[in-house]
Amino acid sequence: MTRPRTGLTRRAFLSAVGASFACPGVAIAAAGDGFAVVDWALLETALALGLVPLAAPELILYRRLVVEPPVPATVLDLGLRGALGFERLALLRPGIVYGSNYSAWAAPQIEAIAPFEAFELFVPGEPPLDKIAAMTLALAGDFGIAGHGRAVVARARAELAARRTQLAGIDTRDVLLVDVGDASHVRVYGADSLFGETLARLGLANAWIGGTRYSATAPVGIEALAAHPQAFLIVVGPVPPDARAEMRQGALWRALPPVAAGRFAVVDPCNAFGALPAALRLARLVTAALLSAKGRSPA
Amino acid sequence: MTRSPNDGTAGRLTVRAPGAVAAGLWLLLFLAGLAVFAFAARQSLVGLAPSFAGDYLAYGLSPRAAFALLGGAALGLAGALLQRTLRNPAADASTLGVGAGAQLALGAATLFAPSLIAEARSLVAFGGGGGALALVLYLARSRNYDPVTMILCGLVVSLVCGALSATLILAGGDYMLSLYLWGGGTLAQTGWRNDAVLASLLISAGLAAFLLRRPLALLGLSDETAKSLGVSTAAIRLAVVLVATVLATTVTAFAGIIGFVGLMAANLARLSGARTPGAQLLAAPLVGAVLLFATDAAVLAIEAVFGTGVATGAVTALIGGPLLLWLLPRLPQRATAPMATAFRRLAAPRAVLLCLAALTVVAALVSLLLKPDATGFFREQADIAALLPLRWPRLLAGASASAMLAVAGVVLQRFTANPIASPEVLGISSGAGLGLAALLLVAPFAGTGAMLVATGAGSLAALAAILIFARAARLGPERLLLGGIAVASLAGAGVTLVMARGGPEASRLLDWMSGSTLRVTSGLALAEAVLAVLLLPLACLAHRWLAVLGLGAVTSRSLGLSPSRAGGLLVTLAAILTAAATLAVGPLSFVGLMAPHLARSMGFARPREQLVGAALLGALIMIATDTAARSLAFPYQLPTGLFAALVGGPYLVAMLLRRAR
Repeated sequence: MTRPRTGLTRRAFLSAVGASFACPGVAIAAAGDGFAVVDWALLETALALGLVPLAAPELILYRRLVVEPPVPATVLDLGLRGALGFERLALLRPGIVYGSNYSAWAAPQIEAIAPFEAFELFVPGEPPLDKIAAMTLALAGDFGIAGHGRAVVARARAELAARRTQLAGIDTRDVLLVDVGDASHVRVYGADSLFGETLARLGLANAWIGGTRYSATAPVGIEALAAHPQAFLIVVGPVPPDARAEMRQGALWRALPPVAAGRFAVVDPCNAFGALPAALRLARLVTAALLSAKGRSPA
Repeated sequence: MTRSPNDGTAGRLTVRAPGAVAAGLWLLLFLAGLAVFAFAARQSLVGLAPSFAGDYLAYGLSPRAAFALLGGAALGLAGALLQRTLRNPAADASTLGVGAGAQLALGAATLFAPSLIAEARSLVAFGGGGGALALVLYLARSRNYDPVTMILCGLVVSLVCGALSATLILAGGDYMLSLYLWGGGTLAQTGWRNDAVLASLLISAGLAAFLLRRPLALLGLSDETAKSLGVSTAAIRLAVVLVATVLATTVTAFAGIIGFVGLMAANLARLSGARTPGAQLLAAPLVGAVLLFATDAAVLAIEAVFGTGVATGAVTALIGGPLLLWLLPRLPQRATAPMATAFRRLAAPRAVLLCLAALTVVAALVSLLLKPDATGFFREQADIAALLPLRWPRLLAGASASAMLAVAGVVLQRFTANPIASPEVLGISSGAGLGLAALLLVAPFAGTGAMLVATGAGSLAALAAILIFARAARLGPERLLLGGIAVASLAGAGVTLVMARGGPEASRLLDWMSGSTLRVTSGLALAEAVLAVLLLPLACLAHRWLAVLGLGAVTSRSLGLSPSRAGGLLVTLAAILTAAATLAVGPLSFVGLMAPHLARSMGFARPREQLVGAALLGALIMIATDTAARSLAFPYQLPTGLFAALVGGPYLVAMLLRRAR
């Protein structure tokens, strides 16, 4: 990607960022100098770096599904990720706009407003974490806080390693990570997904070795989960209300080998197309689920 | 030669034989389905742990097979009841909007009242499906429950409900996948609970049908005859329709829309020799059960062998579509008054047209200068300059596309002499969707150019199908309309099939269906404008044909105009206009339905005036809708095409109601 930017904007950034670095979480001051993000992975990363964008998309759903890091109230909503409110973006006159390959569709419109940088993060068949780390460093570099960026990445690595040690004692190393569509269909996260790679970093094995499309499988019947009877089944929320009842009472769900053996947990929502914060959140949720299950089981 | 008494029995036998043969064939199909099911079951049990294989058979596959049988029977019975009581052989939960209404209610409840959906799923579905059916029947009442009108209204109500459901999926966020999946119609079960509910319902409905069989036989006659025999037709009709609705919506609640099963079951039962109402009420559920079971067994086998998900409900719709195509021209005609009613005629149409043009320009200016949340106008030059590059492409593209749709609508309405004819109803835009679905299935990330080719090819293919169908008995306007309905249903099923896969292709397809003008680039906008400028004069040149054809086939032939050739050219033009327009505003805007009618009721009586007036009105409507769609929920953008459909649907309802007076 080209980055056509003027020196003036860069200087403006640097001064603004200097302030935000000294006091993370403070919004970059004047309009016209700030930046905007059009993708949640970039929003997470910016917030984790202590950078507050002028605007970001779908904040209502973000607060429900992504949860952390929390978005300051000063950030304006840009509307749905698939139907961005370009007009608000244009009136904010950001110095630069960041997105991922999922927002590449909007490039023609965004580039007419401000320089647009889209990071190629999620490519089927390619684990995303290294790309996400590189994106984090690049973003930090753009704002002149490269050192801080390296620290954030290193902290993430360290936290994953610590969770890995925490999990060293558990018996079940095979994990199936799914997202529930309806009572009888799930999507499975493969090794090339953010969640799948996070499992690997935790020293866990992804039981699903079938193919995936865009990081998760096309919906499969829940019986497909029974092909991995030894695995620990983790459902990442949110679960549709009618499926929730079926998971508790449905005969087929209760007969699934992982569920029947008590190797089953539902964890809070987490952003499957997020960045380091999402990976850390998932790691924390999965670790807690596995450890509490271990505490429950007699073995 | 003397006739022995035996000849009588032989004669009876030959009459009875088709029924027996048909019953044998149905039994054979059931057995074949059973064999396929056994094969599929074996295939899907192979990879499973032995401990779970038994459970999967007991709580997954067996309840699914049972649900296919029960659901098929329920839909078959519902279809037979509806067809009998409405005296419309094309009546079915899917053709009368019941399925789409139930789907909409369930989607809305999933998003806005999640606890309600977990507790009272069937009730929610009944509310939605019943509401849609009531609306369709209320609309059809104005034309004496004419079967064709009823199916048309059903299609329009289905399309509007579908547009609303699509909006819900787009806004759904958390539960998007669940809505996708369920939209396709899947019979997968995770226990016996749904079967138990459906079975008890089927038994009570069967009992009710048995008790009502005598009055039902009378309902087949005219209302007058029934009344003279002392039967209160209204009460019985209501009771029967209620029973049928409960059956159909319960199936929809558990499995999504299972297209056309009731339609197929009741008609095939009749064709198989079930002549009396009693026999039909018995045979239709059986046929429905066999049909759905066999289809689902095939779907299971495909899933087991290829490992790819297929929506059973869309497959039945694909099978049933051709039957509808065959059936529609055979429908009895009950329409009393011709559609064309007296409209006032403008004294100075030119002046009014000029006013409209001026109004369109003003509206465009307002739309360009309005603040994003519509709280006032911009004063700063810089703000206007910032938003202009975002606003003019979508405005120009939307206005051009709508003008084209409006002109296509005038051509079709004039030619078919039916005010509900429009590109949407004629299946041309659904064809475009099918073309796009096919493309995205192969290449989920195809570019705009490829999409253009795909929608164009799809529109033309749909058009060709309709023309071939209509040509079978010369190009009669009514036939064209009927062919269009069937093609629209068929193509819609194909789109659903792709959509229910829930992958990236599904979200792109949904994007196109929603008619979001947000992604329109300046290039596409200019292309749409050029197409409009090139094609609209062509339509105006044909205004004489439209005037002559409006006088009827005989008159036009005596005036030296071949109705079929002129009609073929006109319809082809309408298809090209539609294909070009759907690229910008999606397939569901209903502008092609609204604008021509609005122009007519404003008093543009002559074809040329109506063409120009409708084009201007279409552009005006789209400018207003697009502006509202982008500002109403700012910064959240409503998809323009769907939003227009939400305006157009109620307009259509109001129009039909006014006609009723």
